[in-house]
Amino acid sequence: MSNLLELCGEEPEGFIKLDFSSDPDFVFENDNNFAARQLFDSDGNTVFVNSYIECEHYVSGGWGFTPIKNNEIQLQDNFTLLLLVLITLTLFAKTIFNYFRK
Amino acid sequence: MIDKKIVLKILVIIFLILLPWFNGSNFTNENIPEIRQESNPFYEINPCKVSLFQYFSADIKSIYQDHYFFRPNNSSSISCFGKITGVAVQQKNLETNFIISIGTNSFINLFYQSSIWLLLLSFLKKNISDVSRNRKIRIVQNVSILLVTYLQTFSIYAEKRFYESSFFIFDFQDRNSYILVFLIFYLINKNLINIYLSRSDNLLNYIPFLFVISGIISGYNLIIFSSIFLYVGFNSIFFKQIPQIKYLYLYISLSIWWLFNSNGSFYFKPGKLRGFTNSVYEFNSNLFWIIFFGVLVVGLISELDKFKEKFELSTFSNNFSISAFIILLIGLVSSHFPALNFFSYYYLGLQRNVVEQLNPFAFDEFGVKVSWRGISPSSELIGEFFALCLLVSLFDIYKKNKIEIYNYIGVISAGLGLYFSDNRTSIYLTFIFICYYLYSKNSDIVNISKKRIFIFFLIILFIFYLFQIFLPDTFKFYGESILSKANNYQYDSIYSSFLSYLIESYEKKNFVFQIFSFFSIIGLFLNRSEMWGIFFSRYNPTFLELYFGSGPLTLGQLYGETYIVETDSLLLPHSSFLSYIVYFGLIPIVFLIYKYIKYLFSKSINYEFLILSIFMIVNIFKNDSLNYFSAFVLYFFLLYLSKKNKFSG
Repeated sequence: MSNLLELCGEEPEGFIKLDFSSDPDFVFENDNNFAARQLFDSDGNTVFVNSYIECEHYVSGGWGFTPIKNNEIQLQDNFTLLLLVLITLTLFAKTIFNYFRK
Repeated sequence: MIDKKIVLKILVIIFLILLPWFNGSNFTNENIPEIRQESNPFYEINPCKVSLFQYFSADIKSIYQDHYFFRPNNSSSISCFGKITGVAVQQKNLETNFIISIGTNSFINLFYQSSIWLLLLSFLKKNISDVSRNRKIRIVQNVSILLVTYLQTFSIYAEKRFYESSFFIFDFQDRNSYILVFLIFYLINKNLINIYLSRSDNLLNYIPFLFVISGIISGYNLIIFSSIFLYVGFNSIFFKQIPQIKYLYLYISLSIWWLFNSNGSFYFKPGKLRGFTNSVYEFNSNLFWIIFFGVLVVGLISELDKFKEKFELSTFSNNFSISAFIILLIGLVSSHFPALNFFSYYYLGLQRNVVEQLNPFAFDEFGVKVSWRGISPSSELIGEFFALCLLVSLFDIYKKNKIEIYNYIGVISAGLGLYFSDNRTSIYLTFIFICYYLYSKNSDIVNISKKRIFIFFLIILFIFYLFQIFLPDTFKFYGESILSKANNYQYDSIYSSFLSYLIESYEKKNFVFQIFSFFSIIGLFLNRSEMWGIFFSRYNPTFLELYFGSGPLTLGQLYGETYIVETDSLLLPHSSFLSYIVYFGLIPIVFLIYKYIKYLFSKSINYEFLILSIFMIVNIFKNDSLNYFSAFVLYFFLLYLSKKNKFSG
């Protein structure tokens, strides 16, 4: 399942993706048929979206995270650091051991 | 006196084994309900909250009742590791089964399972002399480790269709995603090779243990122990220490054809072949498996070439016996305890869960013995292992002229295991070979008379001819058995190219069909008509594919290209001979058979080689053995060393 489908649900019939990048005053209109959703960015900031078009816009702009995903990414980063330490220890184990023996 | 270092290692292993399964939240036993048949809202509301051991203490009967099934969920998050991620209730006739998913994240699996196996390997005896290595050798060794690591990381990209369901978060299009996998592989390979280099004199004596610890990482289509042979293979290529290099050039030439021919995309669910089969017939995946197989074989030959002088039959036979005993014990105990079944699967790195059949002596309603496979993916495979254990024990006893306690353990365990597995071909062959060995082992060298072999084949042909003349209807029925089964499975108007060719030959009654009739009769006696019939209804090679194959360990094209009538389950070809024709084509396989026959007529052949090679050939012909890494390595090992007279007295 794609991230967009997972977070924003099924695309409404006849949905046309609008380009409003040139309109700084654009305001998203609420869609009564769309249940409000909470989206997250990679830093854990949140935003509520009230229409599919708004949801799609935010997800495309990098708000496609969830707390669980953020937590997982954080854990993966920590794991990478741990591996780097272990690899350094493996590669220089003898040198480190000799240094402490002296 | 017990070595402190060993005690410490054992404590570390026990600690490591227990640690992840206590990773729960602050629930008390009273808060955690037992699983019920109706609904389990607690586990729906609280996924990844209850650790496995918390669950065991709250629902103690799940440890031993046979309707509980613990299954790893490799696509769960890191924080879910060791916790209950979900519960499913399955109604099977009157029986209610509870399937309990345990979080086992694939990144952690790779690091954690490999670390435990590395610690176990470190128990092996170190080499007596530590060979000092100069700078150039060290550089080449490090490059080889990097290449193995790169190859393994590439396999994740190449087989992304398989790995899509293995990871919680992994962007296959983003190169940065592969950094974590690369680092884990590098750390594991670096330590594994260090352990191997300091224990290389002794390591291959422990080959039978590959049947106990398969070394397949949960969620991956890789076997961690293959890294050793890949490393040796790359090293040998760099140092140009490859025996019979002309075959490597031939393999490279064939590889170019296989890669050019990699059209289409056919997925093959590895199932019980996981770790030693290509999961998708595509260019990248084929490239990976071509390199993997080629380097693996080079590594195996080079390693055996170095190791042959250090081989000790008694140590090897003892290890075979201990392995047989452990396989039998774990298989019998784990089938009674669902919790142990899960731990065996996870810590031994198995392809499949341990068999859930409680009674290994069981017979079905027709009075046929139910085959038992224990911890092995297939009952035939484990039957072959037990049979080989008996044969190797026989050679060992004969060579040292006395029976030791390990031999008793081996003979009793392997005898029982062979009976449980109900591999009748192996049972008959073992019996015949033991009698033959004891009867004729007065001299070390067998002299195979060309004249006798020629007469033997003439007699067979004559019987075949008489059969055709005097029992034409029976002969027709037997000779067409595979073709009729293939026709049963052929769907609508879709015919595989090979089946079309067979039908054409049948209508013309030509020489090809005469040969195929002979093959059909053998198939019927080996109870393989249906399996081979299904194979031929699927087999759809082009002219060149028939002669040169589609690439090593690649079954995707066979299973995906031609639609046939649906079968109950994934049915493998039940013949390594047929599988390897799919991989390499007729010409290389016929060439290998020619080389073998030519060798049989040479003067230096010994009884052990003759017995082991015939045993293997019969099993290769009727089983999928060579599609399993453990059997592939063991067969290679036994053939190579028996050829070098290492099993003779």
